[in-house]
Amino acid sequence: MSEKYLSRNFGVTDSHKIEVYLKGNGYSAVRNALKIKPENIIEEIKKAGLRGRGGAGFPAGVKWGFVPKKTDKPKYLCVNADEGEPGTVKDRYIMTHNPHQLFEGIIIASYAVGINTAFIYIRGEYENIAQRLEEALDEARAEGFLGKNIQGSGFNLDVYVHRGAGAYICGEETALLESLEGKRGNPRLKPPFPASVGLFNCPTVINNVETLANVPVIINVGADAFQKTGQKGDGGTRIFGVSGMVKKPGVYELPVGTTLRDIIFKHAGGMKGSRRLKAVIPGGMSAPVLTADEIDVPMDFESLMEKKSMLGSAGIIVIDQETSMVDVLKVVTKFYAHESCGQCTPCRIGNAWIYRIVKRVAAREAGKRDLDTICRLANNMLGKTLCPLGDAAAMPILAIMKKFRTEIESHLEQ
Amino acid sequence: MKEKPMVKIFIDEKLVEAEEGKTILQAAEAAGIAIPHLCYHDAFEPRGTCRLCLVEIEGIPKLELSCSTTVKEGMKVRTQTDRVREARKGVLEFLLAEHPMDCPICDKAGECKLQDYYEEYGLFESSFAESKTRREKKRDIGKNLIHDQERCILCARCVRFMDEITRTSELGIFERGHECVVDVYDGMLIGNNYSGNLAELCPVGAITDKDFRFKTRTWFLDKGKSVCPLCSRGCNISIEHHKGFARFSLPKRVYRVRSEYNPQINSYWICDKGRYEYSYLDKNRQTTIHAVKNGQPVPMDWEQALDHCATEIKKLIYKNKTSRIAVVLHSWLSNEELFLAKKIFLDDLQAKHIYFSDLPSEEGDDFLLTSERSPNRKGALELGFDVKPFALKNVEDTIDILIVFGAFLIENFNPADIREALTHIPVKILITPQESELNPLMDLVIPSAHIAEKEGSLTNTDGIVQKFSPALVPPGSCHSELEFLSGLGKGIEENFSFYKRLSSGDAVRKKMAEDILFFREKE
Repeated sequence: MSEKYLSRNFGVTDSHKIEVYLKGNGYSAVRNALKIKPENIIEEIKKAGLRGRGGAGFPAGVKWGFVPKKTDKPKYLCVNADEGEPGTVKDRYIMTHNPHQLFEGIIIASYAVGINTAFIYIRGEYENIAQRLEEALDEARAEGFLGKNIQGSGFNLDVYVHRGAGAYICGEETALLESLEGKRGNPRLKPPFPASVGLFNCPTVINNVETLANVPVIINVGADAFQKTGQKGDGGTRIFGVSGMVKKPGVYELPVGTTLRDIIFKHAGGMKGSRRLKAVIPGGMSAPVLTADEIDVPMDFESLMEKKSMLGSAGIIVIDQETSMVDVLKVVTKFYAHESCGQCTPCRIGNAWIYRIVKRVAAREAGKRDLDTICRLANNMLGKTLCPLGDAAAMPILAIMKKFRTEIESHLEQ
Repeated sequence: MKEKPMVKIFIDEKLVEAEEGKTILQAAEAAGIAIPHLCYHDAFEPRGTCRLCLVEIEGIPKLELSCSTTVKEGMKVRTQTDRVREARKGVLEFLLAEHPMDCPICDKAGECKLQDYYEEYGLFESSFAESKTRREKKRDIGKNLIHDQERCILCARCVRFMDEITRTSELGIFERGHECVVDVYDGMLIGNNYSGNLAELCPVGAITDKDFRFKTRTWFLDKGKSVCPLCSRGCNISIEHHKGFARFSLPKRVYRVRSEYNPQINSYWICDKGRYEYSYLDKNRQTTIHAVKNGQPVPMDWEQALDHCATEIKKLIYKNKTSRIAVVLHSWLSNEELFLAKKIFLDDLQAKHIYFSDLPSEEGDDFLLTSERSPNRKGALELGFDVKPFALKNVEDTIDILIVFGAFLIENFNPADIREALTHIPVKILITPQESELNPLMDLVIPSAHIAEKEGSLTNTDGIVQKFSPALVPPGSCHSELEFLSGLGKGIEENFSFYKRLSSGDAVRKKMAEDILFFREKE
């Protein structure tokens, strides 16, 4: 029925080993791509409508195009594997079951942009996956897909795995660069953008794991087929991570544009037992919550934007009627208060302040005025912070406060 | 240097021209339009974290940082719209939520940016109903500094100063989010010679100066600009002093020394020596005339003392023995004073013995502090002095009058040797601002002024000539050496009309420029 670009071999025995990968026609994309002119690869990726899978959804080909062609400095590729968005597990599955497809993406992207060094920045908690990646890198080197003169093309590439130390903020691309440079993971002021001044002040491409894993697919099936699988300007599939009160929580690779209703009720088996759907967070915790009657939305960037939410990292959290939205709010606010890096004022103080009010709300030690304060403070963060974390916190808080105000108020009155 | 092209922008409908590459904040400040900011400081790259300097730019939906957005031709910036003011208010509300509000006991009160901005943009009732987080209020972070972690707004100016200016990196930001604190790294204390700048750099009262803590309130202080005399760099300083109160006086005048911006010399900084070693201005001052005749004190005012000096010199003129006058000068004297001394003693009187006695050199550093401990040695050299030290031995028999400026002899010789040498000299005059062991050995001591108390110019180690005006009024009977020397020149009467014209620093400087190419080029 639908294409399985990324998850085809999820569950296949030893799918992470190179001999199994090669048997399934693995690395053919690399072999082919190395014969194509780099600029044509970038064009192909642009045509395919591959949008970033990390959350922001920026077109990958366009991003690559921003890197200066002529520069005296080395260029770097950083693979963002700091999968920290609550509700998101897709990269973990790709790296566990399909590391070589990620490497193919890394090799092709590096070749297209003219990069000879790539770093995989992986979240610290993924310790065994980091180990698996190291082993897989050794295999790829042994087979001549990494190192000097890859497959006789004259192209060289080294890939290093770097483990983070457990900070959500290091998934923000410039904080990732700081952390990779050995500094405190604080986001940088932009501009300059990483494409011109990135890692060690050199031009840098930063792509999410899933984004890169799609690159060999585009080389194999062609931009048109890839594009057609998804939506216009938003091609391919997404690995939806479904969690919460559904019968079959898990990861589901489905075309971009599949409706949220289908994902929950067709693929994830519907609600667990007699639970009834109350709300859905559609794209990782930062995505504003949708109510039960908003789930006919197609899961693509544009459609969710129209609903004032976002596709983000496609981590779907299903909330049932028995779950209190006050508890949801508490989890959300606690997370951002804990994960704010603390360098800019609104995010540092706003999140901590809001969480403290929410705790009082949960304990029924607050009044309606406190609810107004929560909204006012969230609005004072929104659009006014240095990096997207402020917005990522403010948006879900404001959505919960708007859509579930009655429930929260009645909680206070109980 | 190639000039950068100018860009025209509009700030609050006012046309402003700014150099290409400048930020909106810089352009606005240059045009006299204030944009509030806390983390931004001109000495560092913008950091963009306080979020107070957000402005509206036509065509951009979000508010933008004025500290990091560079000007573009035709840009239309608005700094006072409701949206901008609301955003500022929002940031201030966040900052004040956790702020301890201990302004009544905060040394920064009165010159605190957070206080000023709250007056301008805040003035709201607090809606912070939580209890404020307690943090350390008296953290010792170095020899001169205390850090109050509750007052800290995490602008990281201090951290950046240590990283970028002194490159000693004693400070860092620890923990994350709301738990963030500025602190010294384990086992480190800020001990470098520039630590005092942190208290000045801190926009709030988080880093305070141990020397200034709880001593007075900032609004009682008057400021006077001067040049630091403690080495030959010539850093620009501001001397902050207290007039005292109507009903009681204070034991001192000067409460602190701060830096004055000078891009050519010291930028925004001064060293700790220049900042903290100001007590000489108030302590052990010689403020009265001390005259002794036949072992008995003689009452004398300043004019009489000056007269006495002139009379003693005239006696030698009549005897044609002015070569037997010995003068000990020093390099704390201004260019003008040294010029007059040279005119009188070398050119007019042809005294054989002209010496210099300065503080001995000490170690300098590779930033501002030089090894010379006097501010005008370069000036003395440019004036043509042979800056030779006073030789105590074997000169006393050839000296009839000894005129010593400053008490630095004490630093260079054993007091017993000085006492022995001086017994052979019939007339001994000392012109000094300080009390010292030398003073009782002289038969006339005339109190003089420090650089902070007079006008003139100094030539720093790089040959930069800097004019200065009095920051303080000289105490008691203290008069500047300029007044003394021009008075002496007149009193000797040989060249009365010449010295009559040279009674102000400006007049002497003009003459100096006429005579000496070096100073002419510096005019």
